[in-house]
Amino acid sequence: MKKIIVGVLMSALVFTSCNKDDDETVVTTPGTPAPTQVEIATATTSNNETVTLYADESQLSTGYENMYVTVKDASGNAIEDATVEFAPLMDMGTMQHACPFVNPTFDNTINKYKGYVVYTMSSMGGTWTLGVSVNGNLATFTLNIADSPTKVVGNYTGTDGVTYIVSLLRPVTWNVGMNDVEFLLHTKASMMSFPAVTDFTMVMTPWMTSMNHGSPNNIDPVHVGNGHYNGEVNFTMTGDWRLHLQLNQNGTEIHSDAFLDILF
Amino acid sequence: MRDDTFYFDMRRIIITTLLLGYATIASAQTDSTEHSNVLIQEVTVHGDKLNEDNLEFKQKDNVQVLIDKMLYNINGVSLIKRGNYAQEPIIRGLNPSQINTTVDGMQIFGACTDHMDPISSYVEPNNLSSIRLQLGPNSEQVGASIGGGFDFKLNKAKLGADKFVSGTIGTGYEANASAFRVLGSIQLSKKRWAVRANSIYRKSQNYTDGNGREIHFSQYEKLNFGVSSVFALNENNFIYLDYLQDDGRDIGYPALTMDVSFANAKIGSISHVYKKTGKTLYLLESKIYANYIDHAMDDSKRPDSLIAMRMDMPGTSSTFGFYSNASLRFGKKHFVKFKLNGYSNDLHAEMTMYPLIGAEMFMLTLPDTRRTVGGIDLSDKILITEKLKLSTGIRFDYVLSSITTEMGRQTLSGIYSGDLDKNHYLLNVFTQLNYKLNKKLSVSGGVAKAMRAPNAQELYAFYLFNRFDNYDYLGNPDIKQEESWNFNISANYRLKKLVLTTKVFAYYFKNYITGAKLPSSEYSAMTIGASGVKQYVNLDNAIIAGAEVGFKWKINKNFFFSSMNAFSYGEDYKHRALFMIPPLKSINTIVYSMKGYNFSLKYTTAMAQNNIDYDFYGENSTREFNLFDLSAGKTFKVKRFKYDVNIALDNIFNVPYYEHLDVMKINRQGRNLLVSLKFTF
Ligand SMILES: [Cu+2]
Ligand SMILES: [Cu+2]
Repeated sequence: MKKIIVGVLMSALVFTSCNKDDDETVVTTPGTPAPTQVEIATATTSNNETVTLYADESQLSTGYENMYVTVKDASGNAIEDATVEFAPLMDMGTMQHACPFVNPTFDNTINKYKGYVVYTMSSMGGTWTLGVSVNGNLATFTLNIADSPTKVVGNYTGTDGVTYIVSLLRPVTWNVGMNDVEFLLHTKASMMSFPAVTDFTMVMTPWMTSMNHGSPNNIDPVHVGNGHYNGEVNFTMTGDWRLHLQLNQNGTEIHSDAFLDILF
Repeated sequence: MRDDTFYFDMRRIIITTLLLGYATIASAQTDSTEHSNVLIQEVTVHGDKLNEDNLEFKQKDNVQVLIDKMLYNINGVSLIKRGNYAQEPIIRGLNPSQINTTVDGMQIFGACTDHMDPISSYVEPNNLSSIRLQLGPNSEQVGASIGGGFDFKLNKAKLGADKFVSGTIGTGYEANASAFRVLGSIQLSKKRWAVRANSIYRKSQNYTDGNGREIHFSQYEKLNFGVSSVFALNENNFIYLDYLQDDGRDIGYPALTMDVSFANAKIGSISHVYKKTGKTLYLLESKIYANYIDHAMDDSKRPDSLIAMRMDMPGTSSTFGFYSNASLRFGKKHFVKFKLNGYSNDLHAEMTMYPLIGAEMFMLTLPDTRRTVGGIDLSDKILITEKLKLSTGIRFDYVLSSITTEMGRQTLSGIYSGDLDKNHYLLNVFTQLNYKLNKKLSVSGGVAKAMRAPNAQELYAFYLFNRFDNYDYLGNPDIKQEESWNFNISANYRLKKLVLTTKVFAYYFKNYITGAKLPSSEYSAMTIGASGVKQYVNLDNAIIAGAEVGFKWKINKNFFFSSMNAFSYGEDYKHRALFMIPPLKSINTIVYSMKGYNFSLKYTTAMAQNNIDYDFYGENSTREFNLFDLSAGKTFKVKRFKYDVNIALDNIFNVPYYEHLDVMKINRQGRNLLVSLKFTF
């Protein structure tokens, strides 16, 4: 009997000594600011305020980008209660256009003004500038927008003849399994006006094109406010995934296949 | 080929047994209706005759054959074949997860998600002293299972042998697959300590079937070695150290889409044995063990034309565990066994896919599963009268299944949203009655209630492709444990020169675990070319029933005849035939022996299996086959040395055939000439 007890004790040791071998993966909500924001450039307004522009990564690329701003007065004191507004502009020589964006508001947790801009094309096609006005005083930044490795923003013309801009919120860390996914849907009212679309429904079908399979248990994105559509996507493996979105308004199909691409 | 040396061994078994006297085999078989023991090497049997009801075969020379061939010749055992190597043994048509396979009482779990590495592939006859077969819950059981299982007993170094140094050297060749092997063993033995080491190297090319067609990707190569040592602390206490390593290389699986570049197993243990004849506690065995299996599966050898997409599918399995078994006796007629055991097994399997266009893809197919199991077991054997023996037992197991990594949990989040940790409580009970009516006839009957926990695949598989039915499989964390009622009746009739054994059995399953199709509108298969996705479910009930009949007849001084016949039938609650149920099979051998020469002719036949279900289980029917094998052998003794020479011709008529359990129904080997030599010193 003594032997039995010794045996039990020894194996208890074996078990406890090899217990935890977790490797943690970071799960983020799409669009949550990166842990540290990277400074892009600094410019001065006509009122001598210093405006510094930040982003999640040093290289901006096409699609949704969180854009952050800090403002300091002439003596170097931070201004946290100003009215800050964005004015993105793409100058293609023969024509100019803006893109979807939202004006920044001050975020205490990161001590910066935070908004977003959806860059619909890269700097290959012209010159991107971002005007930042502080209480009406303008500072202008010239930006270099690279092409995203995958298609994370797309223009789609609906059956109603209207152009819609679908974009994927970034930054986002993808994992195998269930992931929160968030899209923005805007419409192009004019070259300079891109209001959010708030009354659509979406049917989302992830598809792995290189293997020709999908995945089960996805949750279609639903509108949660200001043109944001939240859903859940199930990636059964890493690799190339295409997110097919069927866009509907009041039960009518507006676009059968607005798609975005993901690689992880 | 069927067996080379094994025939001779059968012959030798028979001869030895005849010399020992007829009653030995007969009585042994009568007693062991619920388990049997195939002795591979001579061992010292301790304990009491009443408690050791299993001395079935005694032979020493079949160490050259693949373990698969040895298993093939046990009545009621069938093999699922995926290649010419590492066939997966099953018992009476029960599926592999319904039986428990152990090595020397150690739990080991294969690392391959495609069942390429059943535990039997990591042991060699050269390592073993015996194979113990259990047919349900009984006093010999190692863990909870529905239908018993195999325990491969490792060959131990023997204290106080006649010679300080002894050993064997052997080699063999098979013409069909140009298979070559060389093996050896050596033992150093003193009164207080002994060491035994053994090794075998095998290399085989592709084999050729009965149509003369080369079966590509049927090659294999392996190096296996084992060391066992024993130290006598005093006359009652012994310490054993055992280590076994098996390194497989370049193993082809013609029935699968992938091969193995390497499959390595490391199996080690420390045991303590206390023996004292005459005491109440006469035997106490305790062991602590660990094993690790590293399995690399890929398709690098397959030509581009056969491959839709290249992939790698490595996997690992690691297990730590212990057991402690106490054997007690109260007087001469009452025996009790008390066992305690526990283990923890971690499995990891992954898949990386390389498309021609696009990024490589990665997924976990077994997402870092852990199963921690503890069991307690009490069994009792009592001689009520000289003629009536009663065995009863009860066993309780607790099984905790879980996922150890965040990535594993995240992987399963796409198919399951509940708590992934699962508990199962298992209760196994049995009772068995043996009654000797008279000197010629004895009967036995028993009932058992068995339970098993779902295995890691059944709980957590993530798009595991099954070539058998061409479906991807998803685990089901909500699956319930499987239960069964087992019934057996047997009769043993023996005359002076003849033994007839009949066993009839039935397993009635509740919550039978199998795969069911998921709607293709929601679930698309991962594997290119797969028919769809299935998920493990519990079927309300199912049944497997059947019989085994064994017949042995010593015709005269020179001739001996034996016949083994087994039949199983299975269906689920909707009367669909269960899959992988072997049809009626018969192995008949006639042996002629004279002046040290031995000749045997073996006839193996299986009926067609047309009792199949395609729609639900995806199985196809199999036609019958008839097979004849011949063998001859001679043993020479020169001074203190012994030489064995064997030659055999398998599948004499070069018949193209496959068996019902052969995945993808690829033809087995055609005619094969085998030679083997062994030298014992
Ligand atoms: Cu895929
Ligand atoms: Cu494998």
